[in-house]
Amino acid sequence: MSNHTLLTIGAFILLTSILLGFYRLLGATGDDITNAQDLILATTIATSYVEQAQGLAFDEVTDSTSAAIGNPSIMTASSLLGPETGDDSIAVFDDFDDFNRLVAERTATGTNKRYTTSFRVNYVRPDNVDSYSTSQTYTKRLDLKTWRSYPKAADGEKIDTLRMSIVVGYFHFD
Amino acid sequence: MQYVLDYIAAAILGAALLFIIINANDTAAESHSVYNGDALVQEMLVQTAYLLEGELRNMGVGVPEDQQTILFADTSRLRFLYDINRDGTPDTIQYYEGTTAEMAGTQNEQDRPLYRTVNNSTPLVVGAVTVFRFRYLTRLGEVLSTPVIASRLTEIHSVEITMEVQNPYAMMRTEEQVMSGERNALYSSSLWQQTRLASQNTRR
Repeated sequence: MSNHTLLTIGAFILLTSILLGFYRLLGATGDDITNAQDLILATTIATSYVEQAQGLAFDEVTDSTSAAIGNPSIMTASSLLGPETGDDSIAVFDDFDDFNRLVAERTATGTNKRYTTSFRVNYVRPDNVDSYSTSQTYTKRLDLKTWRSYPKAADGEKIDTLRMSIVVGYFHFD
Repeated sequence: MQYVLDYIAAAILGAALLFIIINANDTAAESHSVYNGDALVQEMLVQTAYLLEGELRNMGVGVPEDQQTILFADTSRLRFLYDINRDGTPDTIQYYEGTTAEMAGTQNEQDRPLYRTVNNSTPLVVGAVTVFRFRYLTRLGEVLSTPVIASRLTEIHSVEITMEVQNPYAMMRTEEQVMSGERNALYSSSLWQQTRLASQNTRR
């Protein structure tokens, strides 16, 4: 084989490697755009849940009485936060902590994509809402995580998880 | 003889390289159009949703308790009260979609303007949408038929908004690429669906 042929083959290999990088970059850009759309849908789903939670009573006790004013210990114990008997779906939830330990899946309208959301509700310290409180306080925090559960991640694909938190405080109008 | 073989091999490889480069160039141009269109619609959608979301969050703010917040509720039109400038007098905010004829100048035959009005002001175009729908739910989850009759407006507990934005500019396709029932062009699209409370702090 002459030098010319070797040179041409070398150039061919060089160009091929450049093209591989180029197509990889194009693919990555496409993935970014798709991920952005996934996160838009995840955001709409997560914020919808947050809205629903915000519309509920602070606690099972405060839903129907004002007995918890000045006496937070009569509210649901932190170990018992969660849905009460009969609160078997979001539609019938009546207080904020009914979301605790719930895992819900929802299909995004207009697509076949499904998103799973997991919820955790805890009492937090009013002076530092980053800290959980094992005793009852007038402040609760809902942490939720939403991710695309269908279609599953393809080989090499990473699915982002959207994390969101909301803090609510108990207040009462006389 | 060796030189001739070299020339032939170089010509074949050169032609292959040229073909690959042309192909890569086409792919790059097509991908750029698609990605640019996708990014554009996502930006349009998020901006419109951001405005709508912020305003619906304030629905009922500054409205006396004995006064209803939602004045009119239809599939693509919502009129509600909210004291926008905090002067003690509730203002009437309205969102509604226009017609496709109003955006006949774009390539996309399905897009239409989204209008916002405050009191009796001139309607302001706040976005371009292809789908803009409201669903109204009671506290018990009943979906109210639209337009919601006046006697049931106060029962609206949450409003579900579905909004789709498509690129006004098309990515044209050849006739062979268009399947039966499909549009003759591709449009990037992005969808938003959210449930908002019609009035905050209703159960505390």
